[in-house]
Amino acid sequence: MALIEVKDLAKAFDGKTVLKGINLELSEGQSKVVMGTSGCGKSTLLRCLNLLLPPTSGRIIFKGEDITRPGVDIRKVRADIGFVFQHFALYRHLTVEENVTLGLRKLKKMKATEAVQKASHELERVGMIEHRGKYPAQLSGGQKQRAAIVRALAMDPAVLFLDEPTSALDPEMSREVVTVINKLFLENVTMLCVTHDPFLAKYISDSIIFLDEGVVVAEDIAERLFYNHADPRIKHFFMSVIDHR
Amino acid sequence: MTFGNILIILAEGAGYTVLVTLASISAGLAVGLSLAVLSTLRWKAVSLFLAVYTYVFRSIPVLVLLFILFFGLPGIGIRISPFVSMVATLGLVSGAYLAEVFRGAMAAVDGDEILAAEAAGLNRWEIFFYIIMPQMFRMSVPGMINEFTSVLKYTPFAYTVGIPEIMKEAMSLAALTLRGLEIYLAVGILYFLIYKLFVMFFMTLEKRFRVPGLASK
Repeated sequence: MALIEVKDLAKAFDGKTVLKGINLELSEGQSKVVMGTSGCGKSTLLRCLNLLLPPTSGRIIFKGEDITRPGVDIRKVRADIGFVFQHFALYRHLTVEENVTLGLRKLKKMKATEAVQKASHELERVGMIEHRGKYPAQLSGGQKQRAAIVRALAMDPAVLFLDEPTSALDPEMSREVVTVINKLFLENVTMLCVTHDPFLAKYISDSIIFLDEGVVVAEDIAERLFYNHADPRIKHFFMSVIDHR
Repeated sequence: MTFGNILIILAEGAGYTVLVTLASISAGLAVGLSLAVLSTLRWKAVSLFLAVYTYVFRSIPVLVLLFILFFGLPGIGIRISPFVSMVATLGLVSGAYLAEVFRGAMAAVDGDEILAAEAAGLNRWEIFFYIIMPQMFRMSVPGMINEFTSVLKYTPFAYTVGIPEIMKEAMSLAALTLRGLEIYLAVGILYFLIYKLFVMFFMTLEKRFRVPGLASK
């Protein structure tokens, strides 16, 4: 059974339909990447899936439960989905460690010492332990994104959503973050990642979903999508993003 | 009577000045914070109430409001003690200003952080208490110090309702000794010292909770 199953998902803003009947599945341990041109609905899709945006129609089955039905415990669903943002979104007034422990203490109701232990373990995992006492402003972009990944992972989510995790970073820092996400991929962490970065997509995905104007056009492995695809939209997109690197 | 003696006599009233200031600041903070929290609800009726509140209490002179509460309300059977009248007056007025300071600081909290907190599963109140409020207070420090200074400077009005603070002591002493210049100069010095202590206290607090990259604006 799929961990996430999306059926005919649509989302419209002020009469403009951004997602037009999306169908996709993500199984436990699987990692998929969503790619497509700017404005094709990639980030909207991710935000609909954890109900940050309410879908206009369609169904999202998460762990066998339809989370689009009325009365669903949205907080419980969200706490089970890790979310990493493009611009890190670390809490500026908290240290790296406090960023990680906040959710553990307030949502998982862990004791402070237990939360710190868990945070240390997760920070160690991505080589951030020496930065635990620093504030976000004292970190590089790559370190911020790694801290944001740890914050999400520490909650032991069923799935990790990553919204353009490298697009705000320079190539060197981007590589640093790709390495961390690749490590998670190799550890079979379930992930759904939105990105423009073919390098990231290739190294962290079992398959790539190509979205165009709110519709899933294709889903395939990187090698088959990237080079000389029969669909001219896909061919053109990947020619441009790969040529620009 | 030396200048030092004058200072010592007036310092007896300083206790009331500090008490009125602290109580008024606390009331102002409670009012300002409540209004700022209400403003996050974005309900039309609440927005209208907030607009009217801030407009009214920022435009009525402090002394007029004090007289309404202390001399006016007994006319309809409501009697309030001088101390409560003074604290309520300054609390209502400074609350209106502080609400604006807090609202500005809340608007400066990064929307992505709030979104991240929502995405993590925190509810509205948890987001306010753990994400917005700590940043809001830090960014409000200069505005709060300004407002607290204003409250301190309004406390001499307390003498008009009979609170024996510095000004009342000074007026009694000046009437007895006819040494107005020295006495009111001493009042100025005492106010300056109280002001300095308050600012030092708040600057110490600000320094203690300062966070890199989260400067007060």
